[in-house]
Amino acid sequence: MTDQSDKAYFSDGIEQCMDSLYGLALRLTRNSADAEDLVAEAVTRAWSALAKLDDRRRFQPWLFRILHNCFVSEYRKKSVRPVEYPYDETPADGDDDDLTMLLIQQPDEFLDWWGNPEREFINQLLGEDIMSAIEKLPEAFRIAVVLVNVEGFTYDEAAEILDVPKGTVHSRMKRARTLLQKALWEHAREAGLVTSNEIDRCTT
Amino acid sequence: MSDDKNHSGQEEIGCIEAINALYAYLDGELSNSETIAQFEHHLTHCRHCYSRTEMETALTEKLRKATKGTAPEKLQNRLRNLIDRF
Repeated sequence: MTDQSDKAYFSDGIEQCMDSLYGLALRLTRNSADAEDLVAEAVTRAWSALAKLDDRRRFQPWLFRILHNCFVSEYRKKSVRPVEYPYDETPADGDDDDLTMLLIQQPDEFLDWWGNPEREFINQLLGEDIMSAIEKLPEAFRIAVVLVNVEGFTYDEAAEILDVPKGTVHSRMKRARTLLQKALWEHAREAGLVTSNEIDRCTT
Repeated sequence: MSDDKNHSGQEEIGCIEAINALYAYLDGELSNSETIAQFEHHLTHCRHCYSRTEMETALTEKLRKATKGTAPEKLQNRLRNLIDRF
């Protein structure tokens, strides 16, 4: 049973996170019309389930979990987009070490490029490049990055929203950031933002 | 990269341990004060890890700015109307 105080609490909660809800929905659906429908559906479901929210300080993680569940149960199966390749999230032993070594060895050129103050004008272009790189991430990694780095949820909260262990969020964040960095470096080379001379200089 | 202790008596960590801790550190998820101190000490004498931390910090900020949007007014009105009818 809900009353006027519940409605005021619910309304305030929604007002505070409309932008974030839409942002996550857009990253999930990649379509503004679907994103709006998804948010409206999630808000409707949340109101119906409000009595089940035991700790009212946890409104946002609870609401985002409903939105994510709503996407998984309704929108994903309606999507006409091709199913993404199911990226292996449970790598064999040593895979995580390989990732660490990749971070240590491979992107030195990226660091040198990024750290060059003369490249400031390139930094101005990276907003669109970052958006493009984010969109290319496998869904699980894309959503982890949005929840933690954009919306500011803790790993515990992201784990609650996605219904996965905290260690999985940690692993997804590391992999997402590695893939993101690799994609940006490749984009910089393909777009000619780094000349071959600079690549030679950086890699020698 | 050394297993020696630093002047504060902490175990030194190498680049592999630092990289493994990097994202949790930047995301505020390192709760162990000793691990935080070890990571920060490593940055004081490793240019590579310092540069990476700087770059990742800048990348996170750009990522936040690039992807943080605003709900369209149409959606805002739709949600308010929806809640009014609850």
